[in-house]
Amino acid sequence: MTEAEFYGHGLPGFKKKKLPGRLIVLEGTDGVGRSTQIALLQEWLEAEGYAVAATGLKRGKLAGRGIKTAMSGHTLGNITLNLLYATDFVDRLERLIIPALRASFVVLTDRYIYSIMARAQVRGVDPAWLRDVFGFALIPDAVFYLHADLAHLIPRVLNARGFDYWESGVDFLRAPDRYESFVEYQTRLLAQFDAMADEFGFVPVDANGSIRDVFETLQAQIREVVKDMKSAKPKGKDKD
Amino acid sequence: MAKLADGRALPGKLFIVEGIDGSGKSTQLDMLRKWLIGQGYCVAFSEWNSSPIVRDTTKQGKKKQLLTPTSFCLIHAADFADRMERQMLPALKAGAIVLADRYVYTAFARDAARGVHPDWVRQVYGFAIQPTVAFYFRVPLEESLKRILDGRPRLKHYEAGLDLGLSDDPYASFEQFQGCIVRQYEDMVDEFGLVVVDATLPLLEQHERVRTTVEPHLADALRAERHGWREVLAAEGLEGRYLDEMTAPGGQP
Repeated sequence: MTEAEFYGHGLPGFKKKKLPGRLIVLEGTDGVGRSTQIALLQEWLEAEGYAVAATGLKRGKLAGRGIKTAMSGHTLGNITLNLLYATDFVDRLERLIIPALRASFVVLTDRYIYSIMARAQVRGVDPAWLRDVFGFALIPDAVFYLHADLAHLIPRVLNARGFDYWESGVDFLRAPDRYESFVEYQTRLLAQFDAMADEFGFVPVDANGSIRDVFETLQAQIREVVKDMKSAKPKGKDKD
Repeated sequence: MAKLADGRALPGKLFIVEGIDGSGKSTQLDMLRKWLIGQGYCVAFSEWNSSPIVRDTTKQGKKKQLLTPTSFCLIHAADFADRMERQMLPALKAGAIVLADRYVYTAFARDAARGVHPDWVRQVYGFAIQPTVAFYFRVPLEESLKRILDGRPRLKHYEAGLDLGLSDDPYASFEQFQGCIVRQYEDMVDEFGLVVVDATLPLLEQHERVRTTVEPHLADALRAERHGWREVLAAEGLEGRYLDEMTAPGGQP
């Protein structure tokens, strides 16, 4: 981005609007392969001579651990969890994302406010309130929405870590077992993401294919996003 | 009557106290609480910044000075939300009286003093329950500063507003920061219909004012049978030996 733009009121004390880096978001439901793709993209972009910073939900210094602790219990309400996510998000935004963008980094983020909103909305939190709260978020340069069918997601989730309590919506759904709960929850979540795709200008990426197919699709798109930036590599040595 | 954010009425009553540090609001709330319990009402209590889920994060953030005005606002909102979802709302739905030491107005005043957009703070707290009565304990700034600073306590970084860069001296910074907060409170008196109590009056006069304001709202508040066990003891000729440990502070009967 060249000039910072926010969804709402933005951040207090934010003056220097020039942010020469690029903010690239990978969104999508659980098990769709976001973190794998980010790991690949980071390495590729670094090899191309870009400075890259990667971040994701619950990784902030301030509230990251607090959220995980809170989520390991069973007393956490929807509004509270959402505000904890917002705290973690703004902490990473102000102390990592913005400084990196100012220093011309490509910032890759695993999920953004959209995931937080989607998971809150399926639990009945007011969408208008969510948009107000997250009015401090920067509008990214690109949001890639990785979407896969449940049939493709289920084996991936099973292979990775099984059906997680929160990712299966066990906290609010009353399905007979965790598998059914996962299916129901992810179906509702996908519907929320689909509905947000237009509102926030997601670039859809079909994630049913192989990791390599998805990577190549993202690569082509991201080349466009970063093409006006200067990489450290001399032009002549570029592979393509 | 306490109301949900969407305007629906709750059967319980929510009374809250606000005011700067040293205004004596906590003392008054404690007096009100004891009086209400004495009258047989079911009373729940919630204090600012006390959620067991969120408190550790806030403490870390303050200790390591990780907080910016926006994250300071959000972490306190998370703390408030947790207390609302787990303590205040269930009690109010049951028809009980809930007393809160500081409420959303504390955030509105402090966060705005930190430069956060006032509209946004109000949006963040858009889920908050509307209190039945909100008391504002008004005290002249000099008087509250005297009450707080006379012992020359060690002021903490955020408490003194040192994150605002008003002054390097914690005491000078604290004075200016409290001044900003007072102005925010004064603006909110009309905006939210805060009931002003003159906090320079003698304790009992303030209590009288609080009590007469609260009383008309109590007609249908939930009462707890607190002394039923006495009747059993009398009827059965028992001494209640094992009740002693339960009637210690915090015990149920």
